[in-house]
Amino acid sequence: MRPPADAIGTLALIVGVIASLIFIGVEAALVYAIWRYRASRNLAGQPATFERNRRLEIAWTAAPALILAAVFVLTLGTMAEINGAGVAPAMRIAATGHQWWWEFGYGGTKTANELHVPVNTPIDLDLTSVDVIHSFWVPELGPKMDMLPGTTNHLRVLARRAGSYEGQCAEFCGVEHAWMRIRVVAQSQAEFDSWLAAQAVPAVTQGGDGERVFFLSNICVNCHTVRGTAAAGTAGPDLTHVASRATIGAGVLPNDVARMRAWLADPQRYKPGSLMPRVPLSDADLDALAAYLGALK
Amino acid sequence: MTAIPLWVRRPAGERVGWLRTVDHKAIGVLYIGMGVAFFAVGGLEALLLRAQLATPEAGLVDPETFNQAFTVHGVTMILLAVVPLLVGFANYMVPLMIGAPDVAFPRLNALSFWLSLVGGVVLYFSFLAGGAPDTGWFSYAPLSERAFAPGTGVDYYILGLAVNGAGTIIGAINLSVTILLMRCPGMAISRVPLFVWMTLVTSVLILGAYPALTAALVMLLVDRQLSGHFFDPAGGGQAVLWQHLFWFFGHPEVYIMVLPAMGMISEVIPVFSRKPIFGYGFVAGSSVAIAFLSFGVWAHHMFAVGLGDTENAIFSATSMLIAIPTGVKIFNWIATMIGGRLRMTTAMLFAVGFIAMFVIGGLSGVSLAVVPIDLAVTDSYYVVAHLHYVLFGGTMLGIFAGAYYWFPKMTGRLLSERLGRWHFWLTFAGFNLTFLPQHWLGAVGMPRRVFTYAASTGWGPLNLISTIGAAILAIAMVVFFVNLVRSLRSGEIAGDDPWDAFTLEWSTTSPPPPENFATIPAVTGRRPLWDRKHPEARDKS
Amino acid sequence: MTVDRTLLGVAIFIASESVFFLAIVLAYVAYRDAGLATAKANLDIGRTAIFSIALFASSGTMALAARARSGTWLGATMALGAIFLVGQGSEYARLLGEGIGPGSALFGTTFFTLTGLHGIHVLAGLVALAALFTANLGRPRAVRAVAWEAVSFYWHFVDAVWVVVFSVVYLGTLL
Ligand code: HEA
Ligand code: HEA
Ligand code: HEC
Ligand code: CUA
Ligand SMILES: [Cu+2]
Repeated sequence: MRPPADAIGTLALIVGVIASLIFIGVEAALVYAIWRYRASRNLAGQPATFERNRRLEIAWTAAPALILAAVFVLTLGTMAEINGAGVAPAMRIAATGHQWWWEFGYGGTKTANELHVPVNTPIDLDLTSVDVIHSFWVPELGPKMDMLPGTTNHLRVLARRAGSYEGQCAEFCGVEHAWMRIRVVAQSQAEFDSWLAAQAVPAVTQGGDGERVFFLSNICVNCHTVRGTAAAGTAGPDLTHVASRATIGAGVLPNDVARMRAWLADPQRYKPGSLMPRVPLSDADLDALAAYLGALK
Repeated sequence: MTAIPLWVRRPAGERVGWLRTVDHKAIGVLYIGMGVAFFAVGGLEALLLRAQLATPEAGLVDPETFNQAFTVHGVTMILLAVVPLLVGFANYMVPLMIGAPDVAFPRLNALSFWLSLVGGVVLYFSFLAGGAPDTGWFSYAPLSERAFAPGTGVDYYILGLAVNGAGTIIGAINLSVTILLMRCPGMAISRVPLFVWMTLVTSVLILGAYPALTAALVMLLVDRQLSGHFFDPAGGGQAVLWQHLFWFFGHPEVYIMVLPAMGMISEVIPVFSRKPIFGYGFVAGSSVAIAFLSFGVWAHHMFAVGLGDTENAIFSATSMLIAIPTGVKIFNWIATMIGGRLRMTTAMLFAVGFIAMFVIGGLSGVSLAVVPIDLAVTDSYYVVAHLHYVLFGGTMLGIFAGAYYWFPKMTGRLLSERLGRWHFWLTFAGFNLTFLPQHWLGAVGMPRRVFTYAASTGWGPLNLISTIGAAILAIAMVVFFVNLVRSLRSGEIAGDDPWDAFTLEWSTTSPPPPENFATIPAVTGRRPLWDRKHPEARDKS
Repeated sequence: MTVDRTLLGVAIFIASESVFFLAIVLAYVAYRDAGLATAKANLDIGRTAIFSIALFASSGTMALAARARSGTWLGATMALGAIFLVGQGSEYARLLGEGIGPGSALFGTTFFTLTGLHGIHVLAGLVALAALFTANLGRPRAVRAVAWEAVSFYWHFVDAVWVVVFSVVYLGTLL
């Protein structure tokens, strides 16, 4: 099947050309009327007195109607096509919106903010939300679809080129709506498979200082899961392989140990309003924690 | 020497203060004053938005302030600026244009105005009471539910909109009864000026649409204050119900905001073309078609909600249909100009500007009605561009046309044409600079309602252009305000009929006496004043 | 034919009120299934039917009152309207006592909103009736005929809304 984005692109091109022609026609008529009939040019002439013409009225009612009928037929065709046109998806991925981050589920394996897909493969996303309405939008992949609490919507995606795609939540969902960004990484099937296999593996328990801080007074673990450890909170993103992601906080910061430390020191500074609170920690604890998370590849 | 008198005269001659007046002209002026004031406030909020967005990752305002700003900007412009401006002109002009001494229920008229204003004040009071609403002008649930909007902002939104809406509904009852029952002898409904026609159609739209909003607001209030579950998915409610109710109101609302402006330019264009309107019946009839259709298109705001292909296709079709009667209007206006002797006054410039800009907004509207295109650009700056092309490029330019046209009638003085031209051209340039680039921003992926964006997106330059445009637009508006104030004090004296116009409001003095007409006029055609001035070339219809 | 302004105004007002109620009724219907079990178990159709008859009868007495401009019939109308409200109040008290309130579940939310809004309209109608009643006591001749018609018009509307509400909410449980 054709990527939905291409189908929409073709339709938009056709509609754009039609609209441009109508635009040019109307503006030209307007300019002509002003130029030809302005009083300074039409000094002696008396204004005409005609005030109706039934044939003209019928013509300019019927012509737009015909144009729109054609546009509507094309619309129906493209609507069917972008839904998959009967082609079954090669895989389904669950995408869940949270105030202000994304959760992606591949069967039992959960990850956040970064969606990996095999390239050139029709995929259906099952979209839902746990709180307010969000909307999944990666412009280069084509249409967007809302994520509503209590309902599941489906969106067909097909990435044609390998590489990363940028997108972001499109339905206003509260204070940090602007920083609810998505990264889609399209990979060859082999790369994708090994990525998924790596994500499925529980974290290797290091037992170091960082891990101790992570479990300290049950703060972090209250909200975060690190598979392979006792941490099983669900209020925040799964951190089992947090270091494998390119960004922190759904796009606010690039992901490296220094930035991770900065984020942990005060998430509210980078993402004011975010549901991750500032946890007061000593410098040493922060260092250890950042190193710990940085090792969760 | 004061420009604005401190009192209004009653028919009997005694004076009453503005607070107690029930004269439709005075109430019209109050409405217009309210609209102008809130337009300035809403415009300043817009400037704040644009300033923050001028550069990527700017820190001018915090996200909460930004979210409040666009929410209040949208509500202000729509419900507290544009609607009062349109209702204000209708209040002032409709009785004059149909040869009536006042509206049907003068005291109720005052009540409408005060309710509308109080609604606005309640909304703005939220700023003092702990924070304005920050959930967007359509306040989607469940974001607007107490769980996600625990402050009082949304409660003020509910209360403000409900009270404002009650005023608007009562006003619509008043105007429709006035138009239906108080036309002077000879003024058949097929002879009323088009502005009156469109006011009547608009009133019907208000009466059908606003109650749905009130109902939705009541339900949201029950959810928030009585722990109800109308829109609460956790309690079995459905978030989409709010959207259906809101847009059942919201879509007709956009035609409520454009039809009277179309009525204004339907007055201006014939007068300055020196010709009767072309296709009166079609211009009037197409309004009815638009009104009828506009109750059946609401879900085009919800294409991405997942209603299903069948529903989406139906609403796509009805939305496209609306383009047909709208096109009929555009073509008839142009046909009115063809063959005329055009006087390109400022009023006429704005009227022509309306047509030129509205077509862009209309065509982008049709592209949004094409479901797959909408799915690509909904909730992006493309929609922001569309809505400002129709609302600013359409409605506001129409209102400016009406303002330059009727100001002399209302004040006895002409607005300065020299400043008027500056106003027009600065507006034209600033407007297109602000909103044209937003089409591209939306198409390449900039969502609406974001308080900032990453530099890596590459959206910076177009946003900067847009902000520069907004600054020019602000200068244009300052020119307009200066023009208003200066002309009020020292503008050229207008006389009763400065434009050699066609309709009854120009047959009385400027400003009109408290009782409007010394004797109630009798008419025999669509252009009563023209007939009186040119008995040899009377209109036949 | 001359149409009275006030009557036309009231008619238009009633039309827009109908849209308002339609929206609320549709919300009730949309959530009907979710609340049907609770409705079946807890609504007292019999008693409410009796109180409803009072309201329906009040439309009759109102018509008589308007025709004869009779304060007595007007008083009867007010009494019947008040009886209806008392009935509604007792139904509320019983449901609240059983733990069913606007916040308890969807049924409570929709039921109390719909019937409550209707109740508020009955109350507003009673105020209008009372105003007419007092005016009529004072200087009956000064009360314009259209005032009688307008008030009765509105009262019939409130009554008609209850026909719909009663059918949808109460009789609907029998389906
Ligand atoms: C004055 C206000 C106004 C007007 C007149 C319109 C007019 C139209 N609008 Fe617009 N619209 C808004 C105000 C308005 N809109 C606002 C405020 C929003 C956003 C709300 C929000 O989300 O905040 C919106 C959003 C909006 C959407 C939802 C977008 C989204 O959120 O995804 C859609 C989708 O169908 C739409 C469609 C249309 C259509 C088809 C018309 C048509 O009526 C246009 C018809 C006119 C023409 C087409 C031009 C003239 C005609 C011709 C020259 C004839 C020939 C033409 C053809 C053959 C095509 N509008
Ligand atoms: C009629 C309606 C209307 C009008 C006229 C305008 C006018 C303007 N709008 Fe607005 N706008 C909306 C209706 C309108 N808007 C709506 C409905 C939304 C959606 C809201 C939402 O998403 O919830 C929106 C959203 C919106 C956004 C998107 C926000 C976002 O999604 O994050 C932007 C951004 O550029 C914007 C900009 C502007 C600008 C620059 C103007 C300019 O045209 C303003 C020009 C006016 C001025 C600049 C004022 C000048 C006044 C002075 C200089 C003061 C002088 C003072 C005295 C003399 C007392 N608007
Ligand atoms: C109250 C819940 C809560 C607590 C406690 C909490 N977090 Fe978070 N955390 C979140 C949420 C919610 C997010 C998503 C923030 C966003 O992007 O808006 C998050 C995001 C993160 C991220 C970025 C994940 C990504 O993929 O971008 C890291 C890393 C993180 N938290 C680590 C921690 C650590 C370490 C602690 C303890 C010191 C902690 N969190 C405590 C809720 C919490
Ligand atoms: Cu999530 Cu916007
Ligand atoms: Cu619409």
